[in-house]
Amino acid sequence: MGGHPHHAPPPSATEVTLPKRHPLARLVWPAAIAGVVLVAAVAFLAGGDPQRVWGGYLVAYLYFLTLSLGGLFFVLALHACRAGWGVVVRRLAEHLAATLPVFALLFVPLAFAAPHLFSWFSPEARQADHLLSLKAPYLDPGFFWARAAVYLVAWSLLGWWFRRASLAQDASGEPRATRRMQTVAAPAIVVYALTFTFAAFDWVMSLDPHWYSTIFGVYLFAGAAVGVCAVLSLAAMWLERPAGGARGPLAGLVTIEHYHDLGKLLLAFVVFWAYVAFSQFMLIWYGNIPEETLWFFHRWEHGWKPVSIALAVGHFGLPFFVLLLRVVKRRRPLLAAISVWMLVVHYLDLYWLIVPALSPESPAPRLADLVAFAGVGAVWLAAWGWLLAGRAAVPVADPRLAESLSFENA
Amino acid sequence: MRLRLPTPPWKRPDRPRPSWLVARFAGPDELLAAAAAFRDAGFTEWDAHSPFPVHGMEKAMGIRASKVPLFVLALGLAGAAGGMLLQWWTMAVDYPLVISGKPLFSWPAFVPIMFECGVLGGALGAVGGLLFEARLPRHHHPVFYAPGFARASDDGFFLSVASSDPRFEAGATARLLRRLGAGEVETVAPDGTPGYAPLEAR
Amino acid sequence: MAHAVADIDPVETRPLLVEGDPGFHGITQAVARPVETKPPAGWYVALGFSLVGLTCLAVAISWLFWEGIGIWGNQIPVAWAWDITNFVFWVGIGHAGTLISAVLFLFRQRWRTSINRAAEAMTLFAVACALIFPTIHTGRPWLDYWMLPVPNQMSLWPQFRSPLMWDVFAVSIYGLVSLLFWYVGLIPDLATMRDRATTRARQMAYGIFALGWRGSQRHWYHYEKAYLLLAGLATPLVLSVHSVVSFDFAVSQLPGWHTTIFPPYFVAGAIFSGMAMVITLMVICRVAFGLTHIITKLHFERMARLILLTGSIVGYAYGIEFFIAWFSGNTFERFTFVNRAFGPYAWAYWTMVSCNVFLPQIFWSKRMRTSIPVLFVASLFINVGMWFERFVIIVTSLHRDFVPSSWDYFVPTLWDALTLVGSFGLFFTLFCLFVRFLPMVAMSELKAVLPQAHPHGMAPDARPEKPLPREADARGGRPALGDGGEVPA
Repeated sequence: MGGHPHHAPPPSATEVTLPKRHPLARLVWPAAIAGVVLVAAVAFLAGGDPQRVWGGYLVAYLYFLTLSLGGLFFVLALHACRAGWGVVVRRLAEHLAATLPVFALLFVPLAFAAPHLFSWFSPEARQADHLLSLKAPYLDPGFFWARAAVYLVAWSLLGWWFRRASLAQDASGEPRATRRMQTVAAPAIVVYALTFTFAAFDWVMSLDPHWYSTIFGVYLFAGAAVGVCAVLSLAAMWLERPAGGARGPLAGLVTIEHYHDLGKLLLAFVVFWAYVAFSQFMLIWYGNIPEETLWFFHRWEHGWKPVSIALAVGHFGLPFFVLLLRVVKRRRPLLAAISVWMLVVHYLDLYWLIVPALSPESPAPRLADLVAFAGVGAVWLAAWGWLLAGRAAVPVADPRLAESLSFENA
Repeated sequence: MRLRLPTPPWKRPDRPRPSWLVARFAGPDELLAAAAAFRDAGFTEWDAHSPFPVHGMEKAMGIRASKVPLFVLALGLAGAAGGMLLQWWTMAVDYPLVISGKPLFSWPAFVPIMFECGVLGGALGAVGGLLFEARLPRHHHPVFYAPGFARASDDGFFLSVASSDPRFEAGATARLLRRLGAGEVETVAPDGTPGYAPLEAR
Repeated sequence: MAHAVADIDPVETRPLLVEGDPGFHGITQAVARPVETKPPAGWYVALGFSLVGLTCLAVAISWLFWEGIGIWGNQIPVAWAWDITNFVFWVGIGHAGTLISAVLFLFRQRWRTSINRAAEAMTLFAVACALIFPTIHTGRPWLDYWMLPVPNQMSLWPQFRSPLMWDVFAVSIYGLVSLLFWYVGLIPDLATMRDRATTRARQMAYGIFALGWRGSQRHWYHYEKAYLLLAGLATPLVLSVHSVVSFDFAVSQLPGWHTTIFPPYFVAGAIFSGMAMVITLMVICRVAFGLTHIITKLHFERMARLILLTGSIVGYAYGIEFFIAWFSGNTFERFTFVNRAFGPYAWAYWTMVSCNVFLPQIFWSKRMRTSIPVLFVASLFINVGMWFERFVIIVTSLHRDFVPSSWDYFVPTLWDALTLVGSFGLFFTLFCLFVRFLPMVAMSELKAVLPQAHPHGMAPDARPEKPLPREADARGGRPALGDGGEVPA
C-alpha cells in the first residue's frame, strides 16, 4: 500500500548505520589481507600450469565481478523504473556496485595471465591462423588493454557516483537528488549494456577465438542478474540479525514482502537465463555449423557432459520449480537456501563457460580454483564491508523509502 | 416410460429457496468493516459486492485459499507433458523418419511446442479454475432483483445475506446491517416477486 | 489488480493516472458513453475506409486462391517476401497488448490500466491479421489442416522438428490465450454494460457473456488469482511467441538469419512496434471518444519511454549483429551485412535504421515524450521502420544467394500491395467495431487503482473498535446480533 506512508515512519540515519563492531565491519582488514595473500598464492601456484590456474582466477574474478555488476544493474534499474518497493535494499546494491574499482586492481594479475589465457595473444598465433588474421584488428593486445581500461573506468565511475549521490542525499534530504540519479540512470544503462557485452566478448568469448555468438553478452548478463538477487536476499538477511552486540541495521525494515519480491525477481531471472541459454544452445545445435557447434562439443565430451547437465538442472530445472512455490519466497531460511544454491550454480556457470576452453580434456577442479575463489572473494567482501561500515545501510532520505517500507505484495 | 428429472434443490419442500437481504454501503471502507463484523459474527451464507476487488476483503470475509493455482499447475504440467508426448510418439514411434540428420527424438526441437502446450494448459486451468471456484456462469441470482443492485457494477457497495444462513435472524440481521452503516436494506424474494413480504411477518 | 497505489508520486509531485477526480461513477459514464451513444461522424468515415481495405483483402485473397502464388513477386531465391514480412510484422504488433496487460501488470505499472483493454483488443486483431499470411502463403490453403496433428489420408504427421510447425502452435496458442486473458478482463465490464443496458437485446447480449457476474467479493478473490496467474503465464508466452517466430529464420544456416541474438531481439522489436501501434490508435481514440482525462499524457510519456528502451535494444541488436558478422571472419556473414547496408536494398536498410534506432532517440527529451503530435508522427514512422526491418531481414538475406548466378532483385506486385493494404483494412475494421461495442477502457481495473478505492479506516483483519453487543438467540441459545443500538436513519 504505497499510498499510506504513515504505516511506517522512516528510520533515522543513525538507526540504520552499520556499527563498527558488526562482524562485517570487523572482518574488513583480516579479509583484505587474507585476500591479497591468497591472490599472491594463485600467482605462485600458476608456475606449474599457468593457463589452467589463471583460468581458475578468471572464473573467480568474473564471479565476483558479475555480482558487483549485478548490483549496479539493480541500482540503475530501480532508478530507471522509478520503482519504490526495493529502495530499502538499494543501498546494499549501491555499496556492491561501488566495489567495482577494486576489480580494476584485481585485473592486474590478469595482465600477467592474459598471454597464457588467450591463445590469440601472440602475433605468431594470429598470423598462423587465417580466421584470427581476419580478426586481428579487434583481437589485438593493445586494443584489448584499452578496452578493458574503458570498461573498468566506466563501471567504477558509475558505481562510485551512485553511491556518493545516494549517501549525499542522506545528509541533505533533497528529493532532487533522486531525480538526478534517475536522469543519470537511463544513459548509464546504455553504457552498461555496451561495456558488459564487449567485456563478455573480450574476456570469455575470445578464450575460444574462432567461436562467436551474438547473444553471448546477454547470456552473461542473465547470470549476473540471477546472482545479485541471491546476494541481496542473503545480505539483507544477514544485516537484519543482531550481531556484535547491536541490533541489525536492517532489523524491522526489510520485511518478508521484500524477500517475496526479491524471490520473484530471482525466479524471473532464472527463467530469463534459461531462455537465453536455451536460445543459444538450440540455435547452434539446430544449425550444426562446425565452427559454432565445436564450442558445445567441448562442453559435452571428455567428462564435461555431467557438468553441462548439472548446469541445466541446477541453474534452471531445480530452482524453477522450487521458486514457483510461494512458501519458498516467503520464508527466510528457504529463500536463503535457494539463494546460496543459485550462488553455487552461478560459479558452475562461469566454470562451464571458461574452463573447457582451457582444459577441454578434463572438468576436474584444481586447488588453485579454490584459492583464487577465496582470494578474490575475500577482497570483494572486504571492500563491501569497508564501504558499508559506519554508513547508513538504507537510503534514509529517499522520497520513495516510505513506499518501500510499507510495501505489500498484492 | 416417462422421463423424470430429479427435483431441483429449491423445489424440494424441505429446502425452500432462501430470500436475501441486500444492503447498500457508502464505500469500500464501510463494506470492509461490515464484512469483518459479519465474519466475526459467524455468518456463512453471505457475500459482499463491489465494482472492483476491495483490498483486504479476503481476510475481512475469511475466504478460504483459492484452488485456482492448483488448476493452473495441474493443467499446465499436463499440457507440457502432453505436448512432449505427442511429438515423441509421432516423430520417434509412429512414423520414424530421419530429417536433416537429427535424432528421431530431437528434444531441443520439441521444447518450443512443449512449452506452448504447457502455457495453453495453464491458461485453460486458470479460466476453468475461476469458473469452477466462482460457480459461474450463473445468469440468475436473487440479489439481481434488489432495487439499485445494478450499481454494484458501477459505484455501489453491497452486502447480501441469505435467509438460509444459520445465523440469519429476520429483524436482527437487518438492524445489524443498518447499525454497520447500511443505507438501504432491501428484502429480495427468491424469484424476485415485487412487494415481497418482510421477513419478520412470515 | 494493482493494489499498491500512490496518490502522488513522491519525486515527480504530479498526479498519477486519471486527471481530475471523476469518481467511480464518472469512470463508468465516460467509458460506457461511446458504446451507448451514437458514434461521432469520424467513426463512420474510419469504418468506411477500413471496409474498403477489407474489400481489397477479399479481392486479393480470392484472386490468389484462383490463380496461385505466382501473382506475388516471390521468385527464387526470394521465396519468402512480403507474405512472411507481413506475418512477422503483424505478430509483432500483437505483442504490445499482452506486454501491457501481463508484463506491466506483474511489474505493478498501474498506468497500464487505462490502456490495457484497447491494447489487448489490438493484439487479438493483429494476431488475426498475422494468421492470414501463413495460411494463404502455402499455395494450396485448402490443405492447411495438414499442419495440425490430426490423422489424415496419407497417415503422415506434421514434421515437429520444423520451426514452421512450432509457429503453428505458438501463434495459435498465443491468439487463444490472449483471447482468454482479454475475455476474463472483460467479464466485470460486460456486467456493467449489462446493468446499464436500456434495451432487452443489449441486456441479453452483454448479459450472456457477463456469465452472471454480480461483483461478488468471493468471485473477485478467485478472479484476481486467475488474472495474476494468466499474467504470469502470458509473460513467458509473449516472450516465446516472437522467439519462435525468430527461430523460423535463426535455425537455418543462412547468413543474416542464423544468429543467436534473434530471439530477444525479435521480442524487443515486437514490443517496440506494438507500442507504436497502441500510440497511433490511442491518440485518435482518446480525442474521438472524450477519454482525454483517462488516457492522459502520462500514459503516452510512459509508452514513449518503453519505445526508447525497446528501440535502443533493437539498435543494440543491429550493432552486435554487424560486429559479430565481421568478428566471425566468415566471408558469407560479412558479405551479407555489407550487402544489407550498402547493396541494392540499402535504401530499405537505412529506412529501417532511421525509423527504429535514430528516430526514437528524440524520446530522451521529455518535451518530445509529452507532445502528442510528435508521438503520433513518430509512432507511424516506427511502424514503417519495423515493417522494413522484417523486409530487410527476409529479402536482403535471400536475394543474394551463395551462388551469384541466382542473385535477384525482388520487386513486389500490385497483389502484394493489395494484400498488405487489405490486412490493415481487416485490422482497422475489427478495431472500429471493438470501440463501438465494447468498453475500451478496463473500468473495474481503473476504479481499483483510484485513491478512494482503498480502505483507509480499517486494517483488513482488525475487528470493530467496540465489540458488538450480542443478545441470546431464542431458538438455539446462539447469540444473535444487531439489537444493541439505535438504528440510524
